[in-house]
Amino acid sequence: MSPEPTRPRIPLHLSMDDPEPMYRQIESQLRAFILSGVLEPGTRLPSMRALAGDLSCSIITTRRAYEDLEAEGFILTRQGVGTVVAEMPEEKLTAHRRRVVAGAMGEAVRAGRRAGLTEGELRDILEEALQREATNVHQGGAL
Amino acid sequence: MKETPVLSLRGIRKAYGDFELGPLDLRVEPGYVVAVVGPNGGGKSTLMRMLMGLIQPDSGEMSIFGGAYPDDEVAIKQRIGYVPERPVGHDEMSANSLGEFVSRFYPRWEHRAYEEHLERARIGPDRRFGELSRGVQRRLSFALALSTGAELLLLDEPTAGVDPFARREMIEDISRFVRGGTPAGGRTVVFATQVMEEVRRLADYVAFLVDGSLLGLYEKDALLEGWKIFWVDGEPEDDVPGVVEVEGGSPARMVSDSPRATAKALAARHIPIVCGGAMDLEEILSHLMRRSREQSVGGRRSRT
Repeated sequence: MSPEPTRPRIPLHLSMDDPEPMYRQIESQLRAFILSGVLEPGTRLPSMRALAGDLSCSIITTRRAYEDLEAEGFILTRQGVGTVVAEMPEEKLTAHRRRVVAGAMGEAVRAGRRAGLTEGELRDILEEALQREATNVHQGGAL
Repeated sequence: MKETPVLSLRGIRKAYGDFELGPLDLRVEPGYVVAVVGPNGGGKSTLMRMLMGLIQPDSGEMSIFGGAYPDDEVAIKQRIGYVPERPVGHDEMSANSLGEFVSRFYPRWEHRAYEEHLERARIGPDRRFGELSRGVQRRLSFALALSTGAELLLLDEPTAGVDPFARREMIEDISRFVRGGTPAGGRTVVFATQVMEEVRRLADYVAFLVDGSLLGLYEKDALLEGWKIFWVDGEPEDDVPGVVEVEGGSPARMVSDSPRATAKALAARHIPIVCGGAMDLEEILSHLMRRSREQSVGGRRSRT
């Protein structure tokens, strides 16, 4: 056995109890790492086979995730180099970040509806949350 | 992308007394890991031995790396590392002489790798095969197969009788072997096993062999995603779409082979889901087996 070159590892995690298919879980976690800047442009990603091994999933799943992310412009595969995080235009990154927040807000609104809250009450809650965060930031309590 | 498949079986049959294997249709592309699973006597070892040319099929077509037995036997076997269920004629040979013996058949034999495998498995080079425990014998056979420089590993229950720590190392060895492939030259593994943990950790596809028939070549992740358990409150109804088994109780346990349809139907009927989740591969395979046995009325008898 020749010693293996060090290979990139990324803290991904698959939950079999999650109703989302595994390739979607990989996609959304990688997307989040890229959008938040944890994975910077040019960062080398594990090969599809290595990632499948790390996650105990099949290479069919990792290939599907990489192909989707490549189609969305998040990553690119270079001959001889492997898969790396792509350089993305700022407006595209901003749009993606907005979409993530909009999704979370939508979820919060639906939770409010289920709890029987009115629109006005929801606005109040958002306002309170904004103020609380502002105070936290001021006191250095939040990141 | 139409590559030459590593293995291609079409309509392969083999009969032994009252046991019949096949007709088998199976195609394995380079770069994939296929776990062959199924109850004992289902034909796993017969299939593996056939792939090594040790048994001739009664009928059907089989090609390996595009070649066929017996014409291309040498060329084919130089590309296969094989761990048989029971190695023949090894007992009197030492680990060292086995390495020397096997290396003659493999132009790409990796002697250094073999020494490292022996060292890691704590097998002295002078130990005779026959005096090793069953588990250590498996590791020695495995070390031989891994050192052949092969592109295809055919492993017939490689970890049978091996302790869990050694098994972990062997699983890691197999993953390392597969990772060592390149896009241009994928490395392929076909392994028979009874250990679901190995299937879970290693396989891309699951070939499920029951009573001599291949129930299917399943994508492992699709199987795991396609079967789910729902725990629900209230009287279980037995006509929920996708549900193939209900165990009463509070909450009731439902097994579904179409989780999306089941979740939708439960929501429409206002049946609350207490929790839901993944199913074990064993349980999924048991359902598939039961279903197939119910379908094949008076199915063939299996060899015991």
